[in-house]
Amino acid sequence: MSTQAGSKSAVPHVLDIRDLCVRFRTKRGIADALDHVSLSIPKSASVGLVGESGCGKSTLMKAAIDVLAENAEVTAGSVYYHDLDLLAAPAETVRQKRWAGISMITQSALNALNPVKKVGDQIVEAIRAHRNMSRKDAWARAEEMLQLVGVDPKRAREYPHQFSGGMRQRAIIAMSLVLSPDLVLADEPTTSLDVIVQDQIFRKIRSLQEELGFSLLLVTHDLGVVIENCDRIAVMYAGQVVEEGPVDQVVNTPFHPYTLGLKNSLPRIDAVSEPIAIPGGPPDPIEMPKGCRFAPRCPFAQDACRQTKPELVSVGAGHRAACIRQAEIPGLRAEAAKIGTWAKVAVKSEEVVE
Amino acid sequence: MRRYIVRRLIHMVITLFAMMTIMFFMFRLLPGDPTMTMISSVMYPKAQEAMRAQFGLDKPLIEQYLIYLKNYSTLNFGYSFHSSREVSELLSGRIVNTLVLILPSMIVAYGLGALLGALLGWYRGGRFETSVVFVATALQAAPVFWLGMLAILLFSINLGWFPPGHLVTPGMFPDQDLRMYVSADFLHHLALPFLVHTAYQICFPLLLMRSSMLATIGEDFVEFARIKGLRERKILFGHAARNSLLPVATTIPMILSWALAGSVVIETVFSWPGLGKLMIEGVQRSDFPVVQAAFFLIAVLTIIGTFTADLLYGLLDPRIVYD
Ligand SMILES: Nc1ncnc2c1ncn2[C@@H]1O[C@H](COP(=O)(O)OP(=O)(O)OP(=O)(O)O)[C@@H](O)[C@H]1O
Ligand code: SF4
Ligand SMILES: [Mg+2]
Repeated sequence: MSTQAGSKSAVPHVLDIRDLCVRFRTKRGIADALDHVSLSIPKSASVGLVGESGCGKSTLMKAAIDVLAENAEVTAGSVYYHDLDLLAAPAETVRQKRWAGISMITQSALNALNPVKKVGDQIVEAIRAHRNMSRKDAWARAEEMLQLVGVDPKRAREYPHQFSGGMRQRAIIAMSLVLSPDLVLADEPTTSLDVIVQDQIFRKIRSLQEELGFSLLLVTHDLGVVIENCDRIAVMYAGQVVEEGPVDQVVNTPFHPYTLGLKNSLPRIDAVSEPIAIPGGPPDPIEMPKGCRFAPRCPFAQDACRQTKPELVSVGAGHRAACIRQAEIPGLRAEAAKIGTWAKVAVKSEEVVE
Repeated sequence: MRRYIVRRLIHMVITLFAMMTIMFFMFRLLPGDPTMTMISSVMYPKAQEAMRAQFGLDKPLIEQYLIYLKNYSTLNFGYSFHSSREVSELLSGRIVNTLVLILPSMIVAYGLGALLGALLGWYRGGRFETSVVFVATALQAAPVFWLGMLAILLFSINLGWFPPGHLVTPGMFPDQDLRMYVSADFLHHLALPFLVHTAYQICFPLLLMRSSMLATIGEDFVEFARIKGLRERKILFGHAARNSLLPVATTIPMILSWALAGSVVIETVFSWPGLGKLMIEGVQRSDFPVVQAAFFLIAVLTIIGTFTADLLYGLLDPRIVYD
C-alpha cells in the first residue's frame, strides 16, 4: 500500500498494473507470458499497447479483469482499479467492476457474440447484470447505444449472423459503453475489418471518448494506429514492457532497439526506403532467453546483454526503456534506420539455426 | 415457417406411404404365408377358397395393395386372425400404454441428462465427474432387458418395493377406463419400467451434453460473458449450457425413434401391454393384421416425434431458416 500512495499523488490512475507475472501451464512446460509488467493508465487518457503476436498483450488485458484461462497462474503483482486490487478482491466484487467499471472489446469481437441470442438481448443482459433496470428500460438503453455507434436500433432484434463484421464490431462497442465505464480495454478492435471500416470505427471511438471521457487501453499491431489515437504508448516484447512513454517521445526518440525496429516497419512519408521488418521471431515462452529477451534479434546486442536482464529506467520525462545500452542509443538511431543493420542479424540468426 | 411446416407434412405423408408400401410387399415376399394359420391345407378346397375370398386374397396383388392403402388411410386395420376382434380396437389402448411409458421417460432422460451433463462439464475435472462418466458408459452399454431383469430381481423380488410387471393389479380396473392411468396403483406399476428405461436412456444425452459443454466452454462468447460481468449461474445456463444443447437436441428424433421401436424389449420384460408387446404377441400367434398395424403405428409415432423434435430444434437455433 505504501508504493501506491506515491503513484496516486501525481496523476490519478484508473488502472495501475504493478509487477504482474503470469504463467501458463502447457503440455510442453510452463510458458512465461508476462514478466514483471507494470503499466498505468491515467484518467481519461488513451494508452496504446503494441508488440508482435504472442508478446502477451491479450494476456495482460485479461489479467487486468481477472478472466485469464484456467491454465493461467498469476505468480506475482497486483492490478489496481482505482483503490481496489482486483487480484486480491472477492470474486463478487470483481464481477461488479467488470463492464460497469472496466469493459473490454475483445480481439475476436465476431465470436464474442453468442450466435443464438439476439444482439439486443446480449446488451440488455450486460446492463441487467449490473443495474437494477427493467427489461424494457434496458432494451431502450441498448437501442440508444446502438444508435450512438451508427447501427439502426431496429436491428437489435436480429441475431449476430444477420450483422456484417463492421456492425458486429459496432455492436460490441455499443455494448462496451452501455454502462459508462471509466476504462475501456480494446484488444485489436478492428483486426478483421477492411481499412475504411477500421478508420470509421477508430473515429467513432475517439469521438465517443471525447464525449464520455473514459480511459482507453488500445492493443494493436499497428504503430500508426497508436500515433493517431493515443497519448501514451507501451511497447511489449516477449512478455515484458520494454519501452513506455508519451507517444511523440517514444516514436520520435525511441530508446529500445525493438521500438526502433518497429518504427522501421511503418510506411514512410518520403517513400524512399521500403519498410524494414525485424528479422527472426519472438523467443519460445517456455524457454525465454536469460538476459535481454530481444538479444537474439538485436543488431546492437553485446555479451553483457545476454547475461543481465535490463531494467526499465527513465530516459526522459515520463519515458522509460529497458535496454542496457540505452545511453548509446541516440548515437545508434541512424544506423537502426538502415536495412543493412537488420540484415546482419538475419544472417546471424540463420547461422544459429544451421 | 408455414411453408416449411406444410412441406414437412408432405414429406411425412410420403415417408409414411413409402413405409406402408415396403411393409405390404415385404410381408408378402417373406417366406411363410401369413394366412397359413387361418387357412390350413387340411380344410376342404372349397372352404379354403371361401376364406381367401373373405380376406380378399383371391384378388390380384395390386388390387390388394390398393385396398390395403385405402383401409389404412381410414384407420381400418381389419380383423385380428387370433381373436377375430377389430385390430383398431386392440390397438387403441396399447398406444396409450406405450406412450405413457416411453414419452415421460424420454422427456426426463433428456431433461435431466442435459442438466447433469451441463453440470458435469461446468465443474469438470473432479473424481465425481470421472465416476459418473464411468457409470453412464457402462449403463449405456448394458442391454435393456438385462437391466430390466436385474431391477425386477432386486426391487420386486428381493425388496418387494414394486410389482414386477403389468399396468395395474389384475382385476382392479375391469373396464380399463382413463381413471386407471391416474391411479396410485398404475403409478406403482409404472415406476420400475419407467426407472429402468430412464436410467438407460439418460446416459446418451448426459455424456453428449458433457462433451458438448467441454467444447462450448472454450468458446469466445463464454469468456465474453464473464468479461461482461455476468453471474456464474447466468454464464452456465444462459450461455454455455444453452449453446451446448444444440448438438444434443439434434439427436432427439433419432433416439426417440429407437426408443419407440425398442419399446418391444422393455414392454416384454415388464409384461407391459403396449404396442411392442402387442407386436410380439402378434408374431408369436402369426396374427398378421395385428403385427402389420402395430408396425404401422410405431412408424407413425416415430415420424410425428421426429417432426416435433425438428420444430423444437428450430426454436433453439435461430440460425436455422425455414423456407
Ligand atoms: N490459454 C493459454 N494457454 C497456454 N498458453 C497461452 C494461453 N494464452 C496465451 N498463451 C501464450 O501466452 C503468450 C501470450 O499470448 P497473448 O495471447 O497474450 O499474445 P498477444 O500479444 O495478445 O498476441 P496476438 O497479437 O496474436 O493477439 C503466447 O506465447 C501464447 O502462446
Ligand atoms: S539490452 Fe542489448 S540486446 Fe537488449 S535491446 Fe539493448 S542492446 Fe539490444
Ligand atoms: Mg491478442
